[in-house]
Amino acid sequence: MTFVIDEDRLSETFAALASSTRRAILARLAEGEANVNELAEPFDLTLPAISKHIKVLQRAGLVVRGQRAQYRPCALDPARLEEISAWAEQYRPVWEARFDQMDGYLMQLRSQRKTGEHDG
Amino acid sequence: MADGNVSRDAVVIERSFDAPPDLIWQMWTEPEHFKAWYGPDGATVPVAKMDVRVGGSRLVCMEMDTPGGPVQMWFAGEYREVVENERLVYTESASDENGNVLPPPDMGMPDGHPATTQVAVELQDLDGRTKMVMTHSGIPADSPGAAGWAMALSKLAARVEAQGIR
Repeated sequence: MTFVIDEDRLSETFAALASSTRRAILARLAEGEANVNELAEPFDLTLPAISKHIKVLQRAGLVVRGQRAQYRPCALDPARLEEISAWAEQYRPVWEARFDQMDGYLMQLRSQRKTGEHDG
Repeated sequence: MADGNVSRDAVVIERSFDAPPDLIWQMWTEPEHFKAWYGPDGATVPVAKMDVRVGGSRLVCMEMDTPGGPVQMWFAGEYREVVENERLVYTESASDENGNVLPPPDMGMPDGHPATTQVAVELQDLDGRTKMVMTHSGIPADSPGAAGWAMALSKLAARVEAQGIR
C-alpha cells in the first residue's frame, strides 16, 4: 500500500508549504545554510515562533539541522524538494488509488441495484 | 508566458469503467458519490460542496490521520467547463474552510503548491462502458502567477544542487 505513505508524506509536505513564512524560510535557505537567528532576521517574529516554523519544515523533511557547534544550522534537504517539484508524478498513485476506489464503489452500487433494498 | 510549459507538471490517467458515462459523471458531480471514492485509504471527505456550472464554486475538505493527529485540508475551486456526461474542468487551490484561497506569500517565493491546479475529466461512451481521461495539471497558463511553484522549486533545487549541499 505504498500510496498510503505517499499520500501522508505529500499532505504533510503540502501542509508545511502552506505558509508564506515557511516558504520564505526555504527561499532563504536556498542561498545557503543559516541558523535560527539569521532566519528570524527578516521577520517580525519571535525566535520561538521561527523555531516552530523550522520544526514543521523538519518534520516535513524539507529542512535538516546540523549537529555542528551550538548553532545547529538549518539547511535544505534537496531530496524532498526534488520530489515536490515533480508533484504531478507524486499525485499519480493518489489518483490511481482513488479510481480503484471509484471502481469498487461502482460495483457496490451495481450489486445494490440488483438486490434492491436488500442490504445483506 | 508559461504556454506549453505544463507537460512535466501534469498527471494524465486513462481508465475504463464498467459503467455508463452518466454514472461516472455523477461520481464527479454529486457530493454523496464523490465522497465515497475521493479520499484514498486513510483519508475521508467530510465536506464536498459543488455548484456544478461554469463559474460555480466547489469546496472540498479532506481529513487525514497523521502522526500528529487528524489534519483537515480544504480545497476551493471553480468550474471552468461543464458539458454534462462529457467534459468537466475545475480548478483547485488550498483554502480555508470558508473557501478563501490561502493568500499569496508576501515575500520570498511565488505562490506555493497549494497554488491553483486544474483537473480536467473527459468521458467517452464505449457501448455502455466509459473511457475516462483525467488530467491534473499545474496552474493553467492563463492564470495570474502562472510562473508558479513548480518552477520556483526546480530553480531552488538546482541552486541547492549547484551548491553541493548534501
